[in-house]
Formats: sequence, structure tokens, C-alpha cells
Amino acid sequence: MSNDLERALSKLRFDDQVLGYSLMTKAGRPFVSFAFPENLFPRVKNSIKLYKADLRLMTIDTEKGLVVLAPVDDNWILTVLYVPELQLGLAIAKTKNVLRLLEGIELPPPPDEFEEASEDNLQVLESIAIKAASTDAETTPDTTPAVPEPEEEEEVELTPENFEVQPSTIPKRGEKYSTCLSLDSDLYKEMKKLYRNFGFDVLMLVDEKRSVSAIADSMFQPNERVVELLKWAASKQIVDVPVSESEGGTSASGKLGRFVQVPKFEGDMSKVDESDHPVIKLCDGTRTTEQVAKEASLPKSKVIQIIARYRRHGLKMIGKTI
Amino acid sequence: MPKIENPMLVSIYSHIVQDILAKTTSIEEANQELREIGRNLGSQIYLNTEIAEKTKDTITTREDVSKMVETAYKILFDKKPDDIDMESARGSVRITDEDCIWCQEVNLEGMRGFGYCEIFSGIMESLLDFKGVQAKVFQEMCRATGSDNCTWNVRLT
Repeated sequence: MSNDLERALSKLRFDDQVLGYSLMTKAGRPFVSFAFPENLFPRVKNSIKLYKADLRLMTIDTEKGLVVLAPVDDNWILTVLYVPELQLGLAIAKTKNVLRLLEGIELPPPPDEFEEASEDNLQVLESIAIKAASTDAETTPDTTPAVPEPEEEEEVELTPENFEVQPSTIPKRGEKYSTCLSLDSDLYKEMKKLYRNFGFDVLMLVDEKRSVSAIADSMFQPNERVVELLKWAASKQIVDVPVSESEGGTSASGKLGRFVQVPKFEGDMSKVDESDHPVIKLCDGTRTTEQVAKEASLPKSKVIQIIARYRRHGLKMIGKTI
Repeated sequence: MPKIENPMLVSIYSHIVQDILAKTTSIEEANQELREIGRNLGSQIYLNTEIAEKTKDTITTREDVSKMVETAYKILFDKKPDDIDMESARGSVRITDEDCIWCQEVNLEGMRGFGYCEIFSGIMESLLDFKGVQAKVFQEMCRATGSDNCTWNVRLT
């Protein structure tokens, strides 16, 4: 747990635009801090007090920089100080990114007494987690694995494994899409329990135009995490995605999709030889070399020859899964 | 566009990575597979290079680990890593390389979390193991997926 937490927080530590951060209790006491100016703590504490349980994402513009406050769970608040010139949206996106890393980590509540902002507190937290895990293991072994699996109450209900979601899949809104987005619905609560805010954020990006990889990219997340959520959402009719044809659900390409390399030309088209235009125009990062060859009605070897000629003039090979 | 150094290595490694991506089902599994290849390579490197002679017999401190990383870099890549950070995180040594050999000219889209150069994690893990150091090495950032540099975390266990 402590390693994962440290890893998540190291994202901030090694970010040039982050001046400092602090993991605080819901009462506004700094628990683990890194280069966070002490004189900002009272101000942050006041803001936390002001919003209490209603605190969602909040920003405070200070003379030292932009402070973003984000609740991690019921007990913890992550506070990050960014350089003043950083755009607000970017600061929020960066904070959300770390929040998502923290989502997978079960943070125990803070101990009653601790030394404020000490780095050693990470170890304290770990020992609490270990203690909690050893007692939890006996009492709740069967509740945890049962959570991600949708119940099979009806014969026709499909499980997440029944759906085929690839990075290129464009998810559509399902019949329960709007129900799931209303905050007082049971479906929303279930999603929140399983995926925290990540579920909501993904669903907001399901616009029937964006592919899975486009959604993942705009959230700075790996495809597979979005795929996992969408499969669950599909099993609840929140989104519509294709149903897997193979009974076992394990397609040859696996969850990752097929890895391909696509040529993308980002150079000056006027410097491209007239005769190469038809090929280079097709190199927009959406087609593989084979597809370019097919569309240009040329042999693949010829296309490779042309593409290679522009390698030093703005043509890149991009790897991705489709 | 910079000239690719050691194009044979880059081509062979790119082939290995594509092979791994074709047969694995998740990014973490692919990372794991690449580390495993690196671990196997590590024993060959330890046998066939001067790393064993040029490093201390017993490695105990993070400074020793840092020197070993520098030696491995010198022997394998004939250069120095851009940074070896022993201060920021306790129990960790962080290696930063702004011109990583493995992912030269590689651009990946939509593959966040994938460590293109995880093979080096496996190599380092294995080399340290031969010197009696238990460590977990993983790639934290990769230029191929959009970071400014490649970073590996050597977590001493």
C-alpha cells in the first residue's frame, strides 16, 4: 500500500510544475507533505472547514501559486501547489490524474495521533493497513471479489466478459446512460463504489464519436482501464458496445487490441515531391502502411520506400493498439 | 531528427516488443514480460561483460547501487545516465535518461502505463541480484509514451 501511495505521490514530486503537495486529513491536518509551504496550511485548513463534507475539487489562488484541493476518500484530501503560471485546467487535470492512481489504493483512516507532515507517516499508514488487512481477511473474504462481478439475477443478463471492447471501439450511450449519471440513482452509487469518479468521468466522454483510445488519451489513462469500465457499464446497459462473438470471450488479439505502427506526416507538404503526394496525404496516423498501400493501389514495398524518404522531413511511425 | 544510435539493437528490440504486445492481454502483463526478458539477459550480460569485475563485490549502500548503475551504463551504452537520484525517495534510486537507447524514435499513442524500456528494469534487477542486492526495478516514465525522459525506479527491498 505504502509503495503504491509513494508511487502515486512521486508523480507530483517529479513534476516540474508542482511546487509542493500534502496529503491531509479531512480535518485539514497535513499528514505527509513535500515542500508544501507551511504558511499556506492555515488557509487550506479554513477552506476545508468551510466546505466540510461537500468538498469536491477546489482551487485557491495564493501568492505562492495555485493550490488544488481534491478529496481522495472520506478521510483524506490531497492538496497540491502548482506554479502560478500553470493553467487552471491543466492543474486540475494533473491532480485528477494522481487521484486516479490513488483510487486503487485502500487508504486506512489516519491514526488519532501523529506528527504533522512527517514523511515517516507513510510507514505509519502502512502498518495500519497491514493490521486492518489481517483482521479484514477473516471477516470479509467473500465480499471483495463479488463486487466487480455483476449479479446474474436474470438468465439473459450479460457479464462484462461477454462484451468485446477494443481501443478502436466507439461506445454508444445505452438506455440506462442518463440514469447512471443522475447522482441519486442506485446505478450511480454502484458505479461510484466500484470506480469512484473515474466512472463518471469516462461516461461524460461517451459522446458516440470518441473511440476508447481517444477517451483514454484525453484522460491520460491506459486503454485497458477504460475498457474494463466500459465492459462493466455495458453489462448494466449504461453503454452499448459490441457483444463478443466467441463463447470464451478471449479473442486472439487479447485485451490490448492489435499493436500496429502507423505512419504520420507532420512536415511541410510543399516539400513533398508531387508524385509522392497521394501516398504522403494518406499518412495521417490513422492507417497502417498496408492500408496506405491498398488505398493508393501500390505495392507495400513501394509505399515503404516513399515513407522512408520522408523520415527526416517530418514523417513519424506511431505505435498504437487498434 | 537525430540519427538512431545502434539501429540493429533498436530494430531487434522493437521486434521483441511487438511480439510481446501481440501475445499479452494487458499493459502490466506486457511490462512484466519485458522485465522477464531483461532478467534473462542480465545473466548473460553479467557473464559476458566486465560488470562483475568493475563493481564492488558487496553492494550495500545506495551509493554502491548508483555506481553499479553507472558502470552498467558505461559498459552497455558507453555513456552516463543523466541523473541518478538517491535523495528524493527513501529506499529508492531513480535513474533518468534523456536519450534512452531502447526507445529511440519510438512514438506510442494511447498506451499510457506501458514501459517500452522495461527490459532494462529486468537487466538491472538481475545484475543487482548477482551482487546480492534484492531490488524491484520498474520503469516510471517513458519517452515513447510522451514523457520528457525515461526513468527507472530501483526500489531496494
